[in-house]
Amino acid sequence: MNLSSAEETIQRLIFSLSELEQLGQTLISGHSNFNVSSKTYLRITLGTLQATRGAIFCFHPTDNYLTIAASTPEVEIPPIEIEPDEVASLLECTLIELDTPPKDLQNFINRNSERLNGSAAHRLWVPLKIHEEFLGILSLGKFLGRTTLEDWEQELLTILAHQISIAIAYSRIVEGIQSEKFRLFMLAESAPQICQLLQPEDAAEQVVHQAVALLDANVGGLMLIHPEQQNLELRYAFPETLISENGDQDEKNPISISLKDVETDTTEANEKTEFDMLAGVVKEGMTDRCAFKTETFFGGKNLMAGPIQGRDGDILGVLVVGDKEERGGRIAEFTDEDEILLDSFAKQAGVAIENAHLHQEALEARELQAEMEEARKIQENLIPETLPEIPGYEVAGHYEPRGPVGGDYYDCIELSTGGWGLAIADVSGKGMQAALLMATLRAGLLSELTSSKVREESDSIDMKNELVEMAMTLNSLLYVSGTEEKYATFFYSHLNPETDTLTTLNGGHNPPLIVKNDGNIVWMGQDVGGLPLGMFPNDMVPLIAKYEAEQIKLESGDLIIFYTDGVTETVNTEDEFYDEERLEEVAKTSTDSDASHICNLIYQAVMDFQGDADQFDDLTLLVLRKK
Amino acid sequence: MLNKFDIQIRAEQEYAVLETAGYLNDSLGEQLSKKAQELIEKGYTQLVINLDKTALINSIGISILIEIIEALDERNGTLNFCGLSATQERTFRMMAIAKYAGIFPDEKTAIANF
Repeated sequence: MNLSSAEETIQRLIFSLSELEQLGQTLISGHSNFNVSSKTYLRITLGTLQATRGAIFCFHPTDNYLTIAASTPEVEIPPIEIEPDEVASLLECTLIELDTPPKDLQNFINRNSERLNGSAAHRLWVPLKIHEEFLGILSLGKFLGRTTLEDWEQELLTILAHQISIAIAYSRIVEGIQSEKFRLFMLAESAPQICQLLQPEDAAEQVVHQAVALLDANVGGLMLIHPEQQNLELRYAFPETLISENGDQDEKNPISISLKDVETDTTEANEKTEFDMLAGVVKEGMTDRCAFKTETFFGGKNLMAGPIQGRDGDILGVLVVGDKEERGGRIAEFTDEDEILLDSFAKQAGVAIENAHLHQEALEARELQAEMEEARKIQENLIPETLPEIPGYEVAGHYEPRGPVGGDYYDCIELSTGGWGLAIADVSGKGMQAALLMATLRAGLLSELTSSKVREESDSIDMKNELVEMAMTLNSLLYVSGTEEKYATFFYSHLNPETDTLTTLNGGHNPPLIVKNDGNIVWMGQDVGGLPLGMFPNDMVPLIAKYEAEQIKLESGDLIIFYTDGVTETVNTEDEFYDEERLEEVAKTSTDSDASHICNLIYQAVMDFQGDADQFDDLTLLVLRKK
Repeated sequence: MLNKFDIQIRAEQEYAVLETAGYLNDSLGEQLSKKAQELIEKGYTQLVINLDKTALINSIGISILIEIIEALDERNGTLNFCGLSATQERTFRMMAIAKYAGIFPDEKTAIANF
């Protein structure tokens, strides 16, 4: 070595020491992220060794590939796959001359020479490692004024590579700590947050969002068990591609999996579908993860699903996350730690979802109760408080509400012509809808009685035909007012007290009972009974069973008992019906009493019969007796 | 909708605002990092990241935000966040992001506090 080259070497050594100090400073500066600091490390390395080209590749051990962290000049290289035995070979080397690589790495270098070297024209590789952990490659190209490195430069390169290795390892440790810290915080933070949500839809959305973020997933979903249908139904999915554009699922066709049809035991592992997997999670109550060959209906291929359990341990549904992402966009498989994390989160989610559903049920129950009370008020307002006195007749009625609001109705209406209309009806269904339909029926009836010929008392009027017309009008009114399930059984009687003629029409109602003054029994309207009102449109009525009226003459002492099925279908503790025979027996023995007394006797007999048995249908009686 | 990923940039003379929309994961995070790097290379040292339309951030998103903070710090720059939900703000404080970047309720305040 001559003097000038010795001086140059000393100067470069001094420079190198200063660069090494800078490298150390970078390491302890707090800039832990290697993606940011890698450029500085590369710049110092190239400057120290007077190299004009170079790159740092980072190794990703989960999927065995290398990505470029920094390069001079800047180039973009897609991820490079590397085999485990090639990693093992790299670990055995300190420096690799790319012109004369070890045999074990020949294939790897040939396979990737274009991508690795390309415009960088690299000549030398230094494997980056700490102990036996491979971290990446420091790749160097041209050196200023020389083709090879001197021994001291190679030693310096080894020190620089070690510093870079420490920086990568440190960066990964910090990233790992940050990630774990984030996950723990999210886990702790999510519980109180989702438990505050009172709407089941909001809770489902938040549970899925939190799970997706917590597990670095790209897709997620919540499916809950429909208790009656034994289906798993999708309640929320992320991304929301499974949900229609207006933000809601199609309520008629929610995405669902039948738990009855899936055979989790017999399914071969390679034939397993996401549906088998989810059904298995429900059946076993255990978290499961699976990589599918094709995209699942959640959108990802790698799924992990955990059971959602209620407080008492019942499985409420399944929480699914899919396609865990890594830095760089690669999809990684879920790990055992992820499984534990999902399990812990799903436990919290179960409480939140159950809370939201219980809250919803309580709200609905409160709303239903309020509706029932309102319906009850409407119904009670439609029942007459007192009945009018009919010359030559006694009339009495009784209405007993029992259980949920039904739609019983009775009335006795004085007509302007001196005639009387007696009506009894039972509207199908319960609650507000039934009460409103009953109000519609009553309004329609009153309208008919005040505007049509039914009110007229004249020989020229065929009362039977008039009642049939009235029934058709009321049928049409109720049909357009309700649904197929909403209809009313109806019995109307027109009493002419001057002629003691009773013209009746039965619209599917229980036939009233007549006890004649000689003790004979007649069940009215049995042979001419038409359809309940509102069940079919008018044009279909004649095709099924047309309305017909009948007429009878009443004599002194004749007794007529109108009633709803709440009387004859009252059950006792032996599950027996009160039925028509018992009604007949009581009626027969009370013909000498007045209408009010008879009404009470029948009511008391029914009450005695029912004993402690629960009843769910209202009881209505209307009694007419000719003095 | 959380599915829509987007980054809007409003670059003024003294500062630039990057507004994200959607799930801040690797995909959106890398886009954000690239755009932030481009602004830093152009000489911007005062950046605002508006997360008002980003309800969901995963750990990769967090690490990318830390990376942007470090990249700006190398140039003695400042990063201010705005539009964070209460949970995001708590997360940022817990992850020490708040130690190296400002957190403000809205864009106007974030810009005024450089």
